[in-house]
Order: sequence, then C-alpha cells, then structure tokens
Amino acid sequence: MSIAPVLATDPLVEEAASRAFSDLAEKWFAGKVTRENLLTAVEQLGFAEAAPGDDSGAWLAAAAIIRAQARAAAPIDMALLLATGDRAAAIAHDPSEYFCAATSPMPASASAHAALSLGRCLQIGAALGAALELSIRYAQDRKQFGRALAQFQAIQHSLALAAEEVAACTTITDLALACAEREGIGSPRLPALLDAAALVAGHAVNVVYDMTHQVHGAIGFTQEYALHRHSLDLLRWRDHLHLARGGDIGCAERLGDAALAAGSAWRAVTANMTPGATP
Amino acid sequence: MRFHFPIFEFPPEAEALRAEVRAFVTEELAAGRWKKGGDFASNYDPAFSQRIGARGWLGMTWPKRYCGHERTMLDRLVVTEELLAASAPVAAHWIGDRQSGPLLLRYGSEAQRTEFLPPLARGEIFFSIGMSEPDSGSDLASVRTRATKVDGGWTLSGRKVWTTFAHRNHYAIVLARTGDAGAQRHAGLAQFIVDLKSPQVNARPIVNMAGQKEFNEVVFDDAFVPDDRLVGEPGGGWTQVTSELAFERSGPERYLSSIRLVEAALACAREKPTPRVREALGRMSAKLMALRTMSLAVAAQLQNGEAPNLEASLIKDLGNAFEREQIAVFRALASDLPKHSDDYLSALAQTTVYSPSWTLRGGTREVLRGIVARGLGLR
Ligand SMILES: Cc1cc2nc3c(=O)[nH]c(=O)nc-3n(C[C@H](O)[C@H](O)[C@H](O)COP(=O)(O)OP(=O)(O)OC[C@H]3O[C@@H](n4cnc5c(N)ncnc54)[C@H](O)[C@@H]3O)c2cc1C
Repeated sequence: MSIAPVLATDPLVEEAASRAFSDLAEKWFAGKVTRENLLTAVEQLGFAEAAPGDDSGAWLAAAAIIRAQARAAAPIDMALLLATGDRAAAIAHDPSEYFCAATSPMPASASAHAALSLGRCLQIGAALGAALELSIRYAQDRKQFGRALAQFQAIQHSLALAAEEVAACTTITDLALACAEREGIGSPRLPALLDAAALVAGHAVNVVYDMTHQVHGAIGFTQEYALHRHSLDLLRWRDHLHLARGGDIGCAERLGDAALAAGSAWRAVTANMTPGATP
Repeated sequence: MRFHFPIFEFPPEAEALRAEVRAFVTEELAAGRWKKGGDFASNYDPAFSQRIGARGWLGMTWPKRYCGHERTMLDRLVVTEELLAASAPVAAHWIGDRQSGPLLLRYGSEAQRTEFLPPLARGEIFFSIGMSEPDSGSDLASVRTRATKVDGGWTLSGRKVWTTFAHRNHYAIVLARTGDAGAQRHAGLAQFIVDLKSPQVNARPIVNMAGQKEFNEVVFDDAFVPDDRLVGEPGGGWTQVTSELAFERSGPERYLSSIRLVEAALACAREKPTPRVREALGRMSAKLMALRTMSLAVAAQLQNGEAPNLEASLIKDLGNAFEREQIAVFRALASDLPKHSDDYLSALAQTTVYSPSWTLRGGTREVLRGIVARGLGLR
C-alpha cells in the first residue's frame, strides 16, 4: 500500500484528501459511517488495503488523512476512530479512553502498536500546529500598551521557540511515516523512529503548552476559547502515546541501548535513518 | 504550516560513500595523523585538508572544469557530517568549501573561478569571512569598511574583527561599502576577495577565552584591491551575503559541536551503562534524528536551487540549543561513568569553554529567532 499521495505537497491532492475526510465526517455525524466507507475513501485517495486481516493499512491511511486534514485544523481525532471501524465503541468513549479500553491492554499486534504510535504522533503534530496558529493570530489581534502583542520581541521569541519544536516534531514524525509507507508498518527500524518521534513530540508538547498559554493570557484558560481544546488533546494524546510505548524513559532507554550496542550514538542514528537498514 | 521540511533520505550510493569516509577516518586515527578535538571552526590542519582534497572531498559539487567533482550536495553532506562526527580537523578548508567557493561559482567572474576554485578544491588555499566589524555585529548592514574607486581597482580602509583564521588563511571575502546607503540601508555594499598576505592588510590574532589564537582583528590600511577582485557588482553585496546564509546555517556543524563529548561519555560507560546514561543517550539520539532529518530536508532543497533561509535559521537555533544541552547532561553524568578517559575530560573542557561562541557565530540566537518570528508573520 502507498500513502505517498498525501505525503506529496500538491495542494490539489491535499484538498482531495481534505474533501474525502469531510465527506466521512458528514456520514459520521449522520450515523452512516462504516469501515467500508473508510476503506472506499482510502481507495479513492489512492491507497490500497494491506494484506487481508492486517488492519495496519487502514490505520496508516487514517493517519495520512489526519496529516492532510491537519492543515485545516479540523476535528482530527475522528479518523483514528473511523480506522478502527468500531463505531459503537467510539461513540461510547472519549477518544483517548477509547483506545485504552478498546485495545486493552494495548494494541495486540506489533503493527497495530506501531500504527497507533504513528497516528498519535501525527495527531500531536497537527494539534501543535493548530495551537501555534491560534497563538499567532491572537498575538496579532490583541493589543496592550497600545501595540499588538506580536510587536513585543519577547512574544516573538516565545512563539519562534514554539514553532521550532512544532517543526522538529512534525519532521521526525514525517520521517517515521515515510518509513512506514515505503518499508511497511513492520519495518525493523520503525520502532526506533517512533521512539524518537515520541520523545520529540513529548518535549514539543511541553514547550508549546507553556508558550501558547502564556501568550494568550487568561482567555486561553477558559472553556469558551478554543485553545483549551488543542491543549487538552495534546495532553491526552501525548500521555496515551507515551503509555503505549512504555513511558518516555522507556523510549529513551531503548534508543540509548541502540547507541551503546553500536558503540556510537552517531552510528546508531545514521543506521536508523538509512532506508532498508536492519539495525 | 509555515515551514517546509520535505523528507529526504540518503540513497544506497550515499551509504557506500559513508563507509569510505569512515574507513578513511579509522585509518587516519590509527596512523596517529590527528587527534579528535575542537570543532569546524577551531581544529586547523592544512595537511589534512590537502589529503581530503586529494580524495575528491573538497569542492565536491563544483564543475569539473574548476577541478570540482560534480557530485550532489547530498554526497557532500555525507562527507562533511562524517568528518564532523569524527571531530576531524576541518577548520582550514571549511569556509572555502562551504561558502566562498559556492559564492564565486554563483557571482564570481570566469577569471576568479579559474584562479581560485582549483586550489580551493585541492585544499591548497583557505578563505576567511570578513563581515563583522567593531561597530557592526548583528546589524551587519551598518558596516563601515570603505572601498574607494581608484585607477585599476579599489582602496580598502577600515577594520574587521572576529575574522576566524585570518592570520593563517590566504584570502578573505570582505564586505565593504562602495557607496552611500541612502534611504536603503542594504544598498551600496560589495564583496571583495582580499589577499590576507598583502602588506597593507594586517591580521592580528585576538586570543580567545580558551587561550587560543583563532579569530583576528584585520586592519586595511588603504589596501589596494585590483578591479578583478570585486565579486559580482558594486551594490550587490547584500544580496550576495544573504544568499550564503542557508548554506551557512543549516549544516551539521550547527548541531554536532558537542558530539565528541557524547561519544566519549558513551565509550566510558559502555561496559556498565547505568539507566541514567542509557536514558541520556536515547534522548540525545532522538533530538539528533529530528535535527538531522530537518538538515537533510534543507540540503535537498538547496540541491534543487531553492533558498530555504527561514528553515536554515530555525535549524541553527534548535541545533545550537541541542549541542549546548548535551554539555550539561554529560557533565552531570560524570559520576555514572566508571572511568573518565582523557578524551571525555578534554571534550568536556573544550565544549564547555567554547559553547558561548556557538550561539553567536553565524547569526546569534536572538537574530535567528527574529527571522523565525518574521516567518510566522509576527514582524
Ligand atoms: C568564535 C567566533 C568566530 C567568529 N568568526 C567570524 C568570522 O570569521 N567572520 C566574521 O565576520 N564574524 C565572525 N564572528 C562574529 C559573529 O558573526 C558576531 O559575533 C555576531 O554576528 C554577533 O555580533 P556581535 O558579537 O557584535 O554582537 P552584537 O550584535 O553586539 O550582539 C550582542 C547581543 O545583543 C543581541 N542583539 C543584537 N541585536 C539585537 C536585536 N535587534 N534584538 C535582540 N537582541 C539583539 C545579540 O543577539 C547578542 O546577544 C565570530 C564570532 C565568534 C564568537
């Protein structure tokens, strides 16, 4: 299977992905969505299903749709719910609980496990971007001391730092996605890339959560204003991601062990970043 | 998103080149030709530069007619990142290979390319950057070194500072004022190839905090510069200088300055790694993977002729913070290491003392964050 079309930067492709997603969302609200709907949409976007019985293809496709959709900052948790095909469970549970409960203790197969991490990292990247964009707009609109907040250098630098973390998180996640797409969800180097993505995502969440709320002042701490939605999404998804991978220390220790085994952190990093390598 | 980091991964051919560079490094170290130390801006060894020039690892992307090797930017990246990861002595050729050569290829005259590129690619001549002045640092457009038109050339008067290795290198590309800026601050600037051995050019080392002679004050005392040493057009200086920035800011030298410390600590811990050491190595590896992926993305964009200046500034800021963080982490872990090798102790001292310069050279942290903020639409 291939999710290359969504990785492409062609705006038409992205728009098509977005539209397909919106269609699905409508059906979802109308109670008409099924696993078949999802797979049809996925095919329309140029994806094929993976081997029979292996649902990682659907997971990956959903993850890719999320990524395409992320730019529009729309309801992004839905695709993962859809990907599981279990509507009843999805309705009954809050998304993050849903995954814990529905896949208890955690995804059964290694491929579902990897797909879940990838999906969560993609979601986190999207929500980080959304929180950042909201903060940029707010800083441009809100005036204090007769100036827009955006004109204060301290605010500019805080948001620049946040943006750097968002870029790091989405880039390492894209690398993991590219690996899954080209080498399959069972690629032997994918777990290391996902450990790295989970760590980078965790740090990005800390920085962005801090900076975006600081820039917003009190309004960001309300139920009424949208920032809280992104923040709460970030926190839940981050926690679920780390829980699924045995904690962020677990991720770090595994990567550290790879460096020790290679006798060099640099060599372990380059090995994990070499397509087709079996570290 | 307002930034673009398209995923690029090295093809298998590149990995063959990587193996070649690693074998070369192993052989050099075994022969005791140099010791790991310093970084791209301090570890200076002309003989080493000549050896890698002989292997075709300088001017790798330049046309063959200038003794280049017509390889890709990505092949060049394999070589540079491997040499940096090995803490090899690359400082002599670094600037010429990274930016002076590419500048001449883009803006230089045919005569300049024929004269300077072949010896640069052989590792025989070395270049410095003559931008900063006593009163012009971050605000580079305010430079006052003046080039006055005379018969057959220009006379240069003024003063540059922090000019790295000007006392040992052969030439500097000097940014000078040829005309009044007028309303536009960035107008009236030009770049010149200045012979550092000329009697009217006086480079005096300024001993740095580590006690080393690396950067210099360079005084131009009505130094004559022939017409054919003007790079590009008078007035084009600012555009030319800014075109170097993406090359200058996105490379592995912006996140590998403390790799030697990490590797030395790893070597000390390898027999009996504590959980804390394993965790620290893992956290470091994760960030390194993210930075390297971003840096590869920019290299691929440069290869396509794009100018990802914003992305490059972002990488440098993130990379400088990362390389700085490792010093604190791997110093704090000293008590977890069963032994402290000479390599660990010397890397710890070297990185600790040099670290303030990392967030200054090549654009300060504050300047970089300002560029990123502009990219976000905040200014
Ligand atoms: C080891 C080393 C090697 C170097 N090698 C070279 C070389 O080979 N050639 C060369 O030309 N230069 C070289 N430099 C100089 C380097 O480019 C400058 O140090 C750098 O541009 C900053 O200029 P400055 O030192 O004058 O500091 P300043 O510009 O005076 O800045 C001092 C502080 O004020 C901050 N600041 C300045 N403006 C602003 C602003 N608008 N908003 C917020 N904060 C601001 C800066 O970020 C910095 O923190 C080297 C520097 C070092 C440390």
